[in-house]
This record gives sequence, C-alpha cells and structure tokens, in this order.
Amino acid sequence: MKIVDCRNMTCPMPVVTVKRALEEASGESVKVLLDEGAPRENVARFAASRGFQVEEALEGEGYAMLISGASRESTSTQPEKGGQSVFLIASDCLGDGQEELGRLLMKNFIITLLDLSEIPERMLFLNRGIFLTTEGSEVIEALEKLANRGVEILSCGVCLDFFNRREKLCTGSVTNMFTIAESMLRAGSVIRL
Amino acid sequence: MMVKDGDYVAIFNSIHRVMQAEKRLKELRLSILLIPAPRALKSDCGLALRYAAADRPAVEGALAEEGLLPEEIYNKKGEDYIRCR
Repeated sequence: MKIVDCRNMTCPMPVVTVKRALEEASGESVKVLLDEGAPRENVARFAASRGFQVEEALEGEGYAMLISGASRESTSTQPEKGGQSVFLIASDCLGDGQEELGRLLMKNFIITLLDLSEIPERMLFLNRGIFLTTEGSEVIEALEKLANRGVEILSCGVCLDFFNRREKLCTGSVTNMFTIAESMLRAGSVIRL
Repeated sequence: MMVKDGDYVAIFNSIHRVMQAEKRLKELRLSILLIPAPRALKSDCGLALRYAAADRPAVEGALAEEGLLPEEIYNKKGEDYIRCR
C-alpha cells in the first residue's frame, strides 16, 4: 500500500498531494499521514466527495487516514467522454468590452463556483489570466478554497515570466504548455473563459 | 463560503453604487471585498460588500459620508444572516 506523508504541509498541498497519489494508485488504497485541523478536514472532505471510503486513526501526534474503494468518478487521466471539466482562463476579464466590468464579472464567477456542488477538475490560468493567481488578485482566497476541495490550480510558467510575476504566485503551482495541452485533450469538457 | 461567522454583508441594488462604494473604500484602504450577494439573501446576480466586524464603523461611516449607504446590511451568525439595516 502506498503511504503519503502530508505532515507539515500547508493547505492546499495535502489535498493536491493526495489527489496525485490516488491517481497514481489506480484503485489501490492509499495511507495518508496528516496533521490535525484543516489538512485533515480538507483531505477527508475531498476523498469523500470523490466517492472514496475514509478511515481514520490517531497516529503519533497526527492522523493516519486510509483512503480506499473505487472512486465514483475515475481518478485516472485517461480520456473519458463526459468526464471532468477543465477551465481555461486566458484573461483576467470575463467577456469583452469594459475592462472594469469584465474584471468584476470574472471575480464574481470564481467566487460563485464555491457555492456550486460541481466544480472543475483543473483551472488553467494563462496569458493575463495569471493576474488572478498572483499578488494583488482579489480571488486568491476563493481559489485557495477551491484548491482545498480538490481543484487543481495551474498557472502558465511562460506567462508568469512574461509579466515578471513568477515570484508573486500566491496560489496553485506553475505548469507548462505540455500539461496545459494534455489536460485539455483529456478533459470531458474544456470551458474557456 | 466567502462570508465567515461574524462578517457583515452590505447589499446594494445598483451596480454603479456598489462599484462606486468599492472604489471609495479601497481608496481609504479599508479591508472590504466585493462578492456576489449570497444566494440566501438574493436570487438575482446582485453584488455585495463583505467586511469584518472590526471594520464596520469605518466602512459604514465612510459610506454614510459619501451618500452611498447600502439598501440592506446583514450580519452572519452561524448559518443565518441577521438583518441589521
């Protein structure tokens, strides 16, 4: 059985790490070592939302969580008709025209996702979209909450470099065009914003 | 999910007024966030300002001074929103 040590990780890294481990485990059980508090709650909520069974036990000063059972939705990254959705966010504005309104609409859209039961598998930020994941963005709090529910937040590395914002990334991780293209091809649906 | 227990939510019925209020409060460096009005309070795509209890006097004082007081103000208590204006 695979054992993943998520102790001393800050949110949303435990959820991100467990998600990857479950994908790699291809149906096998995964044992996760976790700190008490938000990491434990977030990982348990994420696993349950994907249809896994979760058993917990005290271990040392933290928790050991056994995650088992087939996921309701496949965790594999194989192409799947009607599978999970990927959001491609290539701007910090939603819609064309007035930028002030566009920025407000994008912010509201992302915050609104928090109230929905269906959330995307991944959110890919590129071009001016990376202004949403970097310093000064007003949706960092919302994106962190989405990440804690298992949404993978990825920002384009080339775009971060172009705008000199790589050091200012506040949420999620840096990705490349290979992963962006692969994610789009393998998604059940790609929604471009 | 963006409103914590104890936070205040101010509802405006005009997009122009809420944007004006956001702009002015940001100029004053007050800690506010423009959010979609929580579903429990409004069914259309209304907008609201969220602020913490500690910022309430400064935020509402500034809005009153600018003639931009919201239509309704709510305080989140547990899962409920208690109207206070």
